[in-house]
Amino acid sequence: MSRALVLLTAVALLSIAPLLYMARVSLGVGNALPIAPSDWWSGGFTLDHYRALGQGSGMGRFALNSLLVTGVAVPLQILLSAAAGHAFARARFQGNGVTLALATAFLILPRQVTLVPLYLLFARLGLLDTYPGLILPHLADPFGVLFMAHYYQTMSPEPEEAARTDGLSPRAIFWRIVLPLSGPGLAVVGVNGFLTTWNAFLHPLVLTTSESMRTLPVGLALFAQSEHSVDWGALLAGSTVATVPVLLAFLIFQRQIVEGLLQGSGR
Amino acid sequence: MKVQSIAGLLPWSFFFAVFGLLPLLAALALSFYDMNPLRPDLTHWIGAGNYTRAVQSPAFWHALRTTAIFVVGTLPMTLTLAYLVAALLGRLRRGEALFRAAIFFPATLSMVVIALVFKSLYAEQGLLNGWLEAAGLPPVHWLQDPRLALPSIMLMDVWSSVGYYAILILAARKTLPIEQLEAARLEGMRAREIERRIVLPHVRPVILFVILLNTIRSFQIFIEVFVLTRGGPLESTLTLVYHLYERAFYHFEMGYACALAYILLFIVGLILFAQRRLGARPA
Repeated sequence: MSRALVLLTAVALLSIAPLLYMARVSLGVGNALPIAPSDWWSGGFTLDHYRALGQGSGMGRFALNSLLVTGVAVPLQILLSAAAGHAFARARFQGNGVTLALATAFLILPRQVTLVPLYLLFARLGLLDTYPGLILPHLADPFGVLFMAHYYQTMSPEPEEAARTDGLSPRAIFWRIVLPLSGPGLAVVGVNGFLTTWNAFLHPLVLTTSESMRTLPVGLALFAQSEHSVDWGALLAGSTVATVPVLLAFLIFQRQIVEGLLQGSGR
Repeated sequence: MKVQSIAGLLPWSFFFAVFGLLPLLAALALSFYDMNPLRPDLTHWIGAGNYTRAVQSPAFWHALRTTAIFVVGTLPMTLTLAYLVAALLGRLRRGEALFRAAIFFPATLSMVVIALVFKSLYAEQGLLNGWLEAAGLPPVHWLQDPRLALPSIMLMDVWSSVGYYAILILAARKTLPIEQLEAARLEGMRAREIERRIVLPHVRPVILFVILLNTIRSFQIFIEVFVLTRGGPLESTLTLVYHLYERAFYHFEMGYACALAYILLFIVGLILFAQRRLGARPA
């Protein structure tokens, strides 16, 4: 038993050590690497790198872009998934099976396939380098719909039927009966949508052309390449900023993240 | 009710059709064209030309070879570690949640952040070389040496994915047939024997699923290469998706890039087909 504990402690430390290192360098004085072991505690702490982020580097703008894209895309994803998932679970219509099969296939296939056509489409529609251009691709993600379809299939239709006998309109039933009962499922959709949107890289990289429209991951990755000597303190401070919301989501919603992952979210 | 239910499907279906299915089909169509967005007037149909060009291109085969090395090099290590971690977590009486959280957390991180942190660890003046120097050893050129760049990325990949796969395997272990385990213990079966005769067959579908997922993800490696090496040095880390990205957005060979994308799709389809027949499934 205790051997398991020792081994697990080692693995757990290895898992988080690089992140502690990231946080330490971001709080360190100057840009020098490495932080020598003796400097870990005594090397001095400063928020200089974070202050610098807010000023010249554009990182503040990147963070705002990421917040905006995520803040708009995720609530929309949640609503679209609930509405479409509910329709899949309750209505019988032609093409139901085909659409579900298409959505499932799309979940598995490499998303890079859509990259070039999306770029050309957005160029033609004038959506390159715009917020709608950064948000719209996320709304096509089928994970939430598939997850909610399954969720509603296992949820009893009785409250909805009772409301229908009481004369409620289908729209009222959806907003007042179905949605309030969907919290646990929508939490899974929401937090997994947040992670994929917040961490998205390839599409935002290609669909933005000006520096001011970059999201945080794109801005960080390009910042790392822009200079001859990398400003490690600033870079890892920016990385820490990108990590904090993920950490918060993880601490609050770990169970939902695992559940989404077991149902095939995001990969 | 019926009409309204279908109405609920419409908004998402629109986005899925326009930003999902349409680009998917457009990529197939484009893959038969020679197409440069800077000179749209020169766009013309070349049939399977992009595909024959791909299979005759050394860079394409080089990228496939890189991926093969990546899979062979990471999969055994990732799988073994994930299996061991899951077994150890399953054996804990208390504190499982804490360890599980620490080990799983990296799987939720942005790959850009992971790659940047490892870039700092691998830097010429980075932490790893700092330790080597402290031990009196010469520095190692983790990302600049063509022989080491790919293994350095592979090591990072193992670090970032073990927790994810461990959670998948752990979930399967939670559904082990307890009565069968008890009976085996009462019969005096040894732990190793139980692991091999009862646990392993039970988690086999998930292990196959992990192999499937890891292989598919290896074919899609991009961020790691973009941040750490940009395909170099000497193209030693050129992957299929990075090759595609360069062709499309540095050389504006959009048709060719779409052909590469469909080859990727075909490969992933083949892997899925093979593994489905073997019975891979999540938890």
